[in-house]
Amino acid sequence: MATDTDTGRVEEFGEVSRVRGIAFEYLSLGASVLGIFALAVLLIYVTIDAFDLANANPLWLLTYFLTLVVPFLGFCLYSARDRTLTRRAVTVAGGGLVAVAVAFTLVETFVGQVPRLNWQLTYLFVVIIPLTGYLVYMGARGRPGSVGFGMVGRLIGGTAIGLAFSVLFLVFDERLWFLAYTLGIVPALLAYAYGRLRDTPAAVTAALPISILGMVLAVFVREVLRTYPTTAFIYLWTLAIPIAAAGAVVVNGRGSRTAALTAGGVPLALATAVGLFGRAAGLGVGGPNALLVIAVTGVPVAAYLHRVFDVGEGVSGLGLPVLLVAGALAGAFLVELFGIPTPSPWVSETFLTEAPSRTATEAGLYPAIVGSVIIIAMVAVLSFALGVATSVFLEEYTADTGVVGALTRLLQINIANLAAVPSVVYGLLGLGLFANLLGFGFGTAVTVSLTLSLLILPITIISAQEAIRSVPDDLRRGSDAMGATRWQTTKNVVLPEAFPGILTGTILALGRAIGETAPLIMVGAATTVFSPPSSLFSKFSAMPMQIYAWANFPQAEFRYGVVAAGVITLLIILIGMNGTAILLRNRAERGN
Amino acid sequence: MTDSTESPDLQRRSGLTRLKEGTYGGFFAACAVITLLTTVAIIATLLSDALMFFAEVPIREFLFSTSWSPNPRGGGQSFGIVALVIGTLTVTITAAFVALPVGTLTAIYLSEYATSSARSILKPLLEILAGIPTVVYGYFALVYITPALKATLFPEMSTFNALSASLMVGIMTIPMVSSISEDAMSAVPDDLRQAGYGLGATKFEVSTGIVVPASISGIASSYILAVSRAIGETMIVVVAMGAQARMPAVRETLLGIPYINPTDVLLDSGMTITVAMVQIAGGDLTGGTIPYDAMFALGLTLFVVTLVMNVLSDLIAERYREEY
Amino acid sequence: MSNTETKPSDSLITTDVETGSNDRTAPSDRTAVAARDLNVFYGDEQAIDDVSMEIPEKRVTALIGPSGCGKSTFLRCINRMNDMIEVCRVEGDIEFGGKNVYDDDVDPVALRRKIGMVFQKPNPFPKSIRDNVAYGLKIQGFDGDVDERVEESLKGAALWDEVKDQLGSSGLDLSGGQQQRLCIARAIAPDPEVILMDEPTSALDPVAASKIEDLIDDLAEEYTVIIVTHNMQQAARISDRTAVFLTGGRLVEYDDTTKIFEDPEEQRVEDYITGKFG
Repeated sequence: MATDTDTGRVEEFGEVSRVRGIAFEYLSLGASVLGIFALAVLLIYVTIDAFDLANANPLWLLTYFLTLVVPFLGFCLYSARDRTLTRRAVTVAGGGLVAVAVAFTLVETFVGQVPRLNWQLTYLFVVIIPLTGYLVYMGARGRPGSVGFGMVGRLIGGTAIGLAFSVLFLVFDERLWFLAYTLGIVPALLAYAYGRLRDTPAAVTAALPISILGMVLAVFVREVLRTYPTTAFIYLWTLAIPIAAAGAVVVNGRGSRTAALTAGGVPLALATAVGLFGRAAGLGVGGPNALLVIAVTGVPVAAYLHRVFDVGEGVSGLGLPVLLVAGALAGAFLVELFGIPTPSPWVSETFLTEAPSRTATEAGLYPAIVGSVIIIAMVAVLSFALGVATSVFLEEYTADTGVVGALTRLLQINIANLAAVPSVVYGLLGLGLFANLLGFGFGTAVTVSLTLSLLILPITIISAQEAIRSVPDDLRRGSDAMGATRWQTTKNVVLPEAFPGILTGTILALGRAIGETAPLIMVGAATTVFSPPSSLFSKFSAMPMQIYAWANFPQAEFRYGVVAAGVITLLIILIGMNGTAILLRNRAERGN
Repeated sequence: MTDSTESPDLQRRSGLTRLKEGTYGGFFAACAVITLLTTVAIIATLLSDALMFFAEVPIREFLFSTSWSPNPRGGGQSFGIVALVIGTLTVTITAAFVALPVGTLTAIYLSEYATSSARSILKPLLEILAGIPTVVYGYFALVYITPALKATLFPEMSTFNALSASLMVGIMTIPMVSSISEDAMSAVPDDLRQAGYGLGATKFEVSTGIVVPASISGIASSYILAVSRAIGETMIVVVAMGAQARMPAVRETLLGIPYINPTDVLLDSGMTITVAMVQIAGGDLTGGTIPYDAMFALGLTLFVVTLVMNVLSDLIAERYREEY
Repeated sequence: MSNTETKPSDSLITTDVETGSNDRTAPSDRTAVAARDLNVFYGDEQAIDDVSMEIPEKRVTALIGPSGCGKSTFLRCINRMNDMIEVCRVEGDIEFGGKNVYDDDVDPVALRRKIGMVFQKPNPFPKSIRDNVAYGLKIQGFDGDVDERVEESLKGAALWDEVKDQLGSSGLDLSGGQQQRLCIARAIAPDPEVILMDEPTSALDPVAASKIEDLIDDLAEEYTVIIVTHNMQQAARISDRTAVFLTGGRLVEYDDTTKIFEDPEEQRVEDYITGKFG
């Protein structure tokens, strides 16, 4: 090899040109981000349109930036407790401001006007939103941050689930549910608990027949009985009390009896008070739905509060919801005080609670949201049950040889192919089989749910299989060697371990179902319905159907307003579902 | 604890216990068989109505006639799939021009160049592309892409056109190409790369000269899958491409050689097989009519084509899995 | 079978531990498990070649031999864990309590409830310590006092004092050695007659391993213990009887442990034990 005295030899090696290689690397990097970049630009535009940000006064943006965004970022930085991170965040925010302003002015001067964008909005989307995302990620690693986000997540998630429950009762008869619960579920639970406490296996075994008997009885009683408690009482008895009891049991399991009583009792009392007497007391809220939402939100929040105080770390994070609400109120107050003109976003309370309309400003998505919620609930139950059962069969009950082995291989190939069948063909299946042949009707919830369940079934099965396969074989062999039957091993060892993975896969598959449109058109789901459905066999619409219908309207207020708002609503729900799925997966991975 | 008995009870359990155990197995097997029944039901549903259709309309007319008008205002109905196939091919080929090169480059970047942290950010982001509802993509194409293209590159573009729709289909199918290709590239053993570096190859030469050829069957399988997905794509084209089944105008060059100008096809509205199905479904669903049956004939065509492509893709993928 | 008390100086292996270090001197003439002309195949490959042996009750019997010699396969034949492997084919008899376990009317699940098993790698279930130990009781529909039995079993596995205050915490939180003792407690809780151990200490550090060894010695008071090990010193220390398997799944020599380690009949066994082979 070359030495110091022999430098001439080194030059002989020369240098291989890397220009092509470097150009290729950047080309492939560009390709990797091309699709993401395109989607990001489109999402920015649809957000601007949906919230009417193009007409937002810069002062309005500034006000909320100062009252809401800055305190929130401050909270994240406080939680992360990292000086360099703070310095970097301030540099990015400040430097980004200058850079975006200069770059934007240059573009406008030399290239031309950019439609519906100004430098303030560009700054918001290009600098502040990514920065917020990054700081949330970093802040969540600190204790106050994780407590704060956990709290906000429970408040929002609880409210969403509570509302979803109340929506379900638009279609499902709550009186029948009341009877089934009272006559079937409660006695069965009592029998089960008695059997467990007194070591009477007979009582435990009897629980299932009791519940079935009770439910059958309920159907008959429903035909005869004419007087029922009010809806609020039914929710209280069948949902709020069990949820509160479950919360109390969880807290009690952590070892504190008084805390358990508080965690179950306080939300229950609050829900009862507001639900039964709220309207009478002139609070402006009340009624059965409020009761439901408060119970569903309050119990997990109370249990979470107990845990946070129990651990004693990051208690300050509990201030985050207060910070956000106070920021929003302060912003609203300042805007009012200085008379700053406010934009009129298309995503608004009216939009979410009103029926569709010919006029853009009155158009709403409510019936479609209700339709989507009901369809998703049914699809979730069907595809989860079928998906788990099938994947258990394929992973635990199969053999490599013989008839069962051949069946397994056939099923496996078939499932892979079903996953790739175009959704519009599933629509034809639904139309031909469920709507026409079996007579479930065109575009009813039953037809749509069955069709979508079959559509996402292959995806659910494949992900559930992966989850089951990831359970270590050691555990199965350990259980087998104890003399467990195959079902005992599956039930006691495999399924509990695989459950988070199965749940994650199912939620992701449901995300696919909620956005599907083509099969809905094929089975004749309504493009527009003006009132929420009242039974499983009435004509349904769903969010993507409504978006499809509106997208055909030629008026600009629909194209750039109402549809954008619909798209944003759908995407927010999707992000919420997928986010939950990813959180569940991460937590399960951390647990192991 | 107890003394061992001379002859422990090892008999099979009583009928009830075994029945219980068998019931669970049977139940799971029954659920699993539902997936099989789904396929049978799809084929049976498609076939039964498609056969009724072909009793009315000769297969020859369906396959070779160039006019598609199932619900004529005046004049006769005609069911020629050729115009629809041209529409579908237009979208598929244009989308492939986007998805295949971009997807392949993405796969190369992810498998050969990206750091593990870059990969952990890029891969979920790419998955988002496949998770956005297609009706939303259709809306984007109609409301943002078309006006943008009209304002800049193609002023003569019509409101509903094949180009915007195809671009969106292309973007949607990028992750399909990139994830399967990347799997294939990651499966290439490191020995091969080391051998290349040992011969003095640059990273570029190793990536394009060794890794890509070695994983070519995986890449091909991903291409077929992406194309099959593009063929079956419905909502993007329904929303953004319009619903006009048309044969492209054949022009003549100076020397009299006929050709089709791509802009004629791309900048104008068109109709794919899927759009034709949705259009019929939007009207008449009661069954028994010829357009209703035509929908199933189209569905059968689509099902057969995508099934063949998926099986083909599987067979090719099988090969690359065996190689390493 | 005579269990020796003498410690000859010409022991073939150089350890300072005593062989057959227990006082279970009374000869047991009762056979717990017996193999008769056992042949096992994995597809076309023969894993066990015509093995016949009688394993005495309430003794520790060690199966040793180089890896791939079939000793683990033999162990897994006893509780029919090999049934899980589809290509595995078994010919000949394994008698347990006078009954051939490969008879058609034998339910492998019922068989495994009589025979406990401890694996190479500790494999506690991701459940609480209590639920781990109670697992066998639960699946067998035990109707006595579960908590009492759990305590008994944990004491039997010499783990009670270490975990009695944290029965509710996960079995996975324990150290490797504790996990293995938990698995032993899990195996003895349903009161089996035989305990099979497949290299139970090979994944553990020496201190944890020696605790398990002490425990095995105690277990032999009540159970028949059959242990596969590749550690010859361990076999010498804890077992009463030793079976040496060499390549091809052949049982080469089977005798009292002292005899095997001090004066084996076969030259190959001597070579193996002294490390010249295997």
